[in-house]
Order: sequence, then C-alpha cells, then structure tokens
Amino acid sequence: MNKFKTLSLALSGTIILLASSCSKNSDDVTPAISKLTTKTVTDLDGLTTTNVYYSLSTGSQITGADTTTAKWDIKFKGTSIFINSGTSGTGTTQAQIVSSTFETLTTAPTTGYKTDATGTPAISGWYTYTATTEPQHAILTVPGKIIVIKTSAGNYAKVEMISYYKGNPNTTTAEFANLATRPASRYYTFRFAYQGDGTTSLQ
Amino acid sequence: MQIKYILCGLAMLLIFHVAYAQRRDTSKKDTAHIKQLKEVVVTGTRTQKSLQQVPIPITRITADEIKQKGLVRLNEILAEQTGINISDDPHGQGIQIQGFDPAYTMILIDGLPLIGRNTGILELSRITINNIDRIEILKGPTSSLYGSEAMAGVVNIITADPTKGISGGAAARYGTNNTADISLNSAYKNDRFYISGFANRYSSDGYTLQPSSGLPTVSPFAGYTLNGKSYYKIDDRTTIKLSVRYYTNDQDSKYLVDNRYAAGTGTEKDFNIAPIITRRFTDKLLSTLQLYRSTYKTKSDVRYENDQSVYDQTYFNQSFNRAELQNDYALKDNLKLTAGAGGQYETVEATRYTKLQSFTSGYGYFQADWLPVKKLDIIAGGRYDVHSVYKSQMSPKLAASYALNPKFTVLGSVGKGYKAPDFRQLYLNFTNAEVGYSVFGYEEAGAGIQRLQQAGQIETILINPATLKRLNAESSTAFNLGYRYKPAGKLYWTANLFRNNITNLIETAAIAIKTNGQSVYSYFNLNKVYTQGIETDMSYQVFKWLQVAGGFQYLQAYDQEVLDQIAAGKVFTKDPETNLTKVIKRSDYGGLLGRSKYTYNIRVNYFNRNSGINASIRAIYRGRYGYKDTDGNGIINRDDEYTKGYLLFNASLSKPLLKDAVRLQVTAQNLLNYKDAQVILNLPGRLIYAGIAYNFNQK
Repeated sequence: MNKFKTLSLALSGTIILLASSCSKNSDDVTPAISKLTTKTVTDLDGLTTTNVYYSLSTGSQITGADTTTAKWDIKFKGTSIFINSGTSGTGTTQAQIVSSTFETLTTAPTTGYKTDATGTPAISGWYTYTATTEPQHAILTVPGKIIVIKTSAGNYAKVEMISYYKGNPNTTTAEFANLATRPASRYYTFRFAYQGDGTTSLQ
Repeated sequence: MQIKYILCGLAMLLIFHVAYAQRRDTSKKDTAHIKQLKEVVVTGTRTQKSLQQVPIPITRITADEIKQKGLVRLNEILAEQTGINISDDPHGQGIQIQGFDPAYTMILIDGLPLIGRNTGILELSRITINNIDRIEILKGPTSSLYGSEAMAGVVNIITADPTKGISGGAAARYGTNNTADISLNSAYKNDRFYISGFANRYSSDGYTLQPSSGLPTVSPFAGYTLNGKSYYKIDDRTTIKLSVRYYTNDQDSKYLVDNRYAAGTGTEKDFNIAPIITRRFTDKLLSTLQLYRSTYKTKSDVRYENDQSVYDQTYFNQSFNRAELQNDYALKDNLKLTAGAGGQYETVEATRYTKLQSFTSGYGYFQADWLPVKKLDIIAGGRYDVHSVYKSQMSPKLAASYALNPKFTVLGSVGKGYKAPDFRQLYLNFTNAEVGYSVFGYEEAGAGIQRLQQAGQIETILINPATLKRLNAESSTAFNLGYRYKPAGKLYWTANLFRNNITNLIETAAIAIKTNGQSVYSYFNLNKVYTQGIETDMSYQVFKWLQVAGGFQYLQAYDQEVLDQIAAGKVFTKDPETNLTKVIKRSDYGGLLGRSKYTYNIRVNYFNRNSGINASIRAIYRGRYGYKDTDGNGIINRDDEYTKGYLLFNASLSKPLLKDAVRLQVTAQNLLNYKDAQVILNLPGRLIYAGIAYNFNQK
C-alpha cells in the first residue's frame, strides 16, 4: 500500500512538473492586429494610362490637372513606384520600406524616410523579375516589404503591393506560367491603411 | 564486302580462343562472398589500409560491379551510390556528397586531381570507367591530405594495372540517342616492366526535352580518351612510372537568342602527365616523388544561323603544375608516419578574365597512423597550405576506429576542410549577352563597375566596390561517426552520422542594378551553412545466387543566417492564393537548393555460377528538392518551389561466352521513362543499350 502511495505521488508530481514546464510553442504567438481601416485597391489600370497617380488620403485615383499638384501621394509607372517629392513631384511625400507583415506593422518609424531623386527612387525592391526561371518573365511582389509613406500633409500610411497583374492571379499555376494565358500586366492591386490624425500609429 | 571483314574478325577470335589461354572475364568472379574485409583502400590515408579498419567513411566500387551493371561513364556509376546525388545543373553533372555542391568534392585519377570546372562543376561524364580497377569515395573533409576542394570528400578513380603477359580487349556499348561507347586496350607486362594503352570514344546525338522548341537539351557530342601507362622496376627498391591521359570532346550547341537561332561547336581538351618515382630506401622508409602537369582548354564559336555573324566566341585555358615528395616511415610496427611537401603553380587565361592570372602555392602535410592496441587505430594529421593570393590554411584531422569485435568496428573522425576562392571568384569579368547580367570577381569588381558607369549602364549602386572585403577561403569543420558491421560472410552493414559546419561560404550577391533591370554580381564570404544527416547501407547474400542491398540517406542542409532571420521573424512569404504577406516559421524553411531530404536505393543482383548469367535491377529514389524561389524571399519554402520526388529503375543483364572471353550485355536506365521536362534537365527518359566486350590474356 505504501509503495502505491509513493508511486502515485511520484507520478502526479511528474505530471504537474511536466505540465508546468511545457511552454507554449512560440510559433503560436498571435501578433497584434491592425484596427485602422484597410482599403484594398484592385486592378488600378496602369496599362491604358502609362502614369497612374493615386491619393492615399482620399483613397482615389488622381487625374487631369491635379497630377501636377501635391494632391497625389504615389504614382505607378510600369514597375516603378514614385512618390510626390523631389524629382518626381511638387509635394513633400517621403517613403521607406519596412520588413514586416502588413498586419504587424503597427507603428510607423520616425526616421529613415527618403524622397525621390533621379536614379534613386525612395521605393525600390518591391518586386523581383523572374527572367528565364519559371514562371518566366514575370514581375512578382517580394513578400515582407511594406511601404511606409509620410504624405505631404504629414500623415502616415502603410502600403502592401499585392499584384502586378489583372485579377491578382495565383502566380504558381500553369495558366500564369504560360505567357499566352497570363493576365495582363500593369494592373496594380495593393492594400493600404491611412492614419489621418498625424500620429505614427498604424494600428 | 563487309561480310568478309566480319568473317575475318570472327576467324581471328577463334584462333585466339583456341591457341592461347584465356583470361577470365573478371565479371564472372565469384560474387557470392563479399570480400570487403580483406580489401584495401588507399585514398583515406594515402597509404594502404584495410577497408574494415580505415577510420574514415569510405565506399569502394569494384570494376566487377561496374561491368555487371553495364555502366561506362563516371556519372552513371556514382548516381547509384548511397548518399550521393548527381546535381542537375545546366553547367554540368557534378557530384553532391553530404549536401555539398559539386565544387567541394575533389575528383582524382590515381590520386591526382582533375581540373577544368565550369562554375565549380567538373563534368563527370568526361571520365570513362572502362579501364579502371576500382573507385574509392571518401566522405568528410580531407583537406588534411589533399588540400583545397576536399571539403565534402574525394572521389579517386584507380586505373587498372595490367596482368602478366600480353593482354588486351575491346568493348562496345550502343543504344538510345545513338549513344556509343567504344574502348580498346592492350598491355604487356613482365617481371620488371609494363606498358599499357587505352583508347575510348564516347559519342551521342544528345536529346531534347522540348521537341517543339527545336532546341536540344543536351547537344550532340563526340569525345576521345587516350591513356598510356608505363612502369619500370629499376631495381628491387626503385620504380618509375609514367601516366599520360588525353581527353578531347567536341560538342555542338544551338540557342534561341531574340528569335534568332545561333549554333556552333565547343571543343574541350584535357591533358595530364605524371611521372612518379618511388624508392624504398630502407625497410622502414618509402619515398615517392610525384610530378604532375594538367592542362584544360575549351574553345567555343557560336554564330547566328542566318548570317553567320558571331554570337559568342570564348576560350578558356587553365594549367596546373605540381611537384610533391611524400615519405612513409614505419617508425615501429604499430606506428607509421607520413610526411609530404609540395609546390603548385596554376594559371588561367580566358575571354572572361582580363589577363593571364596565376597562383603559386606550397604545402606540407603530416600524418601519424598508430595502433596502440590491435583493435584501435588512431590517425592524426594535418596539412598547411600557403598561397600567393589568399590567407594560409591549416587543416587538421583526427580519426579513430575501434574493433569492438572482429565483426563490428566503430569509427569516428573530426577534421577541417577548406576550399580556396577559385579563379572565377577572384578574376571573372563576364556579362551574359543574352540575359544582360554581369558578374565580376572580387579583384575585378571596382574596375568593372567603373567601366559600366562610364558606359551609362549603371542605375543604382547597392554596394560600393571600394568597401568589398578581401575574399577568404571557405572552411568547414566536420564530425563523422559510424560503424561497420559484418557478422558473417553474408551481411555487411554500414552507417554514418555526419555534421558539417561551413563558414565563409562564398556566394554571389548583387552589388549594383543596371539600367536594363538586371544586376551586377560579385562574390562575398557570406554565409554560415550546416549540413547534417545519417547515411546507411546494407547488403545481404540471401542465397548463393541472390544478393539484396539497400541504402538510405537523410539530409538536412540549412543556411544558419536564414535560420537566425526566421527566428527573429524577419522572413516572409506570400500566400499563393491571396498574394498577401505571411511570416515564415522554421518548419516552413526548405533548406538549401538542390538538396533532397530523403534518398534511398534498393539493389537486387542475381548470379548463376553455372551459366555465368548475371542480372540486376536497382531502384533509386530521390526525394523532392527545392530548385527555385518564386515568392521572392530568397529561400525555399513554398510547395511550388520544389521538384517532385522520383523513382528511377535501372537494370542490366549479362552473359559470358567462349569461356569468359566474351561478355554480352544489355543495360537499361530509367526503365519507367520518368521525365520532368520543365525542371530536371539530366533525365532524358528511358535509355537502353546493348554491349559486347572481349578480353584476352596470353601469359
């Protein structure tokens, strides 16, 4: 009887020890989720119009005479993304690229922004060109590159480029790999969250 | 007319058969007993050791096994070995050992290194295996004996010495894709002297995996190998040997450049000469003086088909010269010392290098082989290399084997390996005309960037060439632990656990972006990488006529810096369905490109002693491996970035005739015709060959 007691004590002791020493798998840590409204822009047409101007504050495309003002924030031209500053425009927009997922980037950095200059745009490295690797001759967005914009008005926004092709296709399929069936390029799909209150909070 | 010649030939055959004693075709040797216990290996220690006792993992492939399988080129036989993969790279078929790229394995013929690598890869089909005695494959770093390039291991092809008398033979194998391999050999040997000659022709029409493109995957080629070996015993204590090898290969090529076809021929020539003098000064002291010169030359001339204007004209000349003296001194019965020293002079001159570049280097190595008790063998050694361009290297090694009982030996080793930056990483000056990217070696980067800037071709500088650090050799520290178990004549089981820690791995990285969108690359000592795994092989003689064997390797090959970045949450991927960014977990990371986690093989061999018929079938499985990065994060993680795993079946059937003088053979590779046309370039589908070999020996 004594032996049984000792054994059961030992067993329960071990179980308690094991249970308390088990730590949560660090893979399960859930990141803080952003609460700002995220707007997804699909298929912004950069094919029929070579230069597409967009305003993050109004969430709309800028056309006509307004393209020479400070009203737009980012401009798409082929595979280049320009911001409204320096050699690209009359405004004072700045940008930088941060390594993160879109959701977990909750605070904009305070320093490290750049304006556009000839030959060195503030936004680069957002895509890779596959050349002769399958899928051939494709522009694929690089994961984890979140563009943080500080607009001419001093407000912050985060932008994630999603696709360069019409309809945001799955780039791993055979249809995409086949140049004949690949959707048209220069149709920009991206999502962004704009913080209108001037703080760096992108939550 | 032709029938006359055939009848003549047959008549000669008959005369030889009747008049002279026949040499037994060696493939009929009794394979019923696995003789590995008494077999000798030399590559592990540069001295003779028994396969059971040598404390380093080593695989020995005999000429018999090669002939039974009907294989004639080095890549064919290595592809079937446990723990070895033939890498699929458009620059050539190279060997992957313990997860290392082909650039890290040295290929030797009779202990002397072959040169002529294309982006680090030595094309294995260059080497015929019709005139060899055996192949020894050493795993683990052996820079303590062989210096640079012996980081993953060493493959030593040991050519056959002739038998006494006049001997000779001919062999031919012909099959799919008009691939023909024809060899002739003859030799004369007496008590003091021998001379032997060997000639081989290997040609093929090549093949295409994309017939609709009109372009070949492998272009037609024809090549010749000529070998001569001579040996003379000056007196009881002194011998002199001379080996000469010449290899030449012409290969057609055809490309599609901007919708125009360009075609041409490439020629490669490989020449080796090695005089070797050995002298046994006393019973205890043996000295070997070895001189070696090797040259490798390629030339290519490709022109546009419509107007014959030049598309690409390149040449590449490399030479390697060495003098080495090794002394083996048996200090005591159980303690053997080896000490050697040598000097090397290498040059390279090519269209992709600005001028003739040369390296001078010297080295000294030492090894002690000690048996404190009969069961325990300890080998300690090291090599010191000095080099005209990069830092000196010290490569020590310690290995031990312990025979727990006559059936079971445990072995373990720890050692360092290194690989010097090669000519390419130091001096390359190359722009790919078709795609538009440029690659500059470390010494050329500054001048190269300046030139491109003056031509207005640079859009952004990512890394200022002036800040580039001097390239150092890549180095590794490795641990191997295993055993050899041979309970009876029927069963032989080996296993080996390995871990390689590699630092200073030289990788390319972009230093600038060109106006055409392509990058300018240079070489950096970037990475820390480790490979580890377990490998095991077992063979069992089920009955006298049936042998079954199998092997398996589990391999992990990871970039340490990527693992650190993943742990810091800084590596991302895109979900293929939504194209939104996600964080990568460690379990998502697929490791280095081109490495399969799982590979295995199963071999069955049937041998009938009465009829001499030998039949074998081998199944080789290669697990999926990552081959491209499509989500742009620079690593392998998504399923679409892997090939599919695949299983190949190879089989062969052979029968001796005319008292073993003649052997008929049928060989099949990739019986199930597995292809992955888009992704894997060195699987041409099913290959069937028929062969015949004839040998004679007049004593």
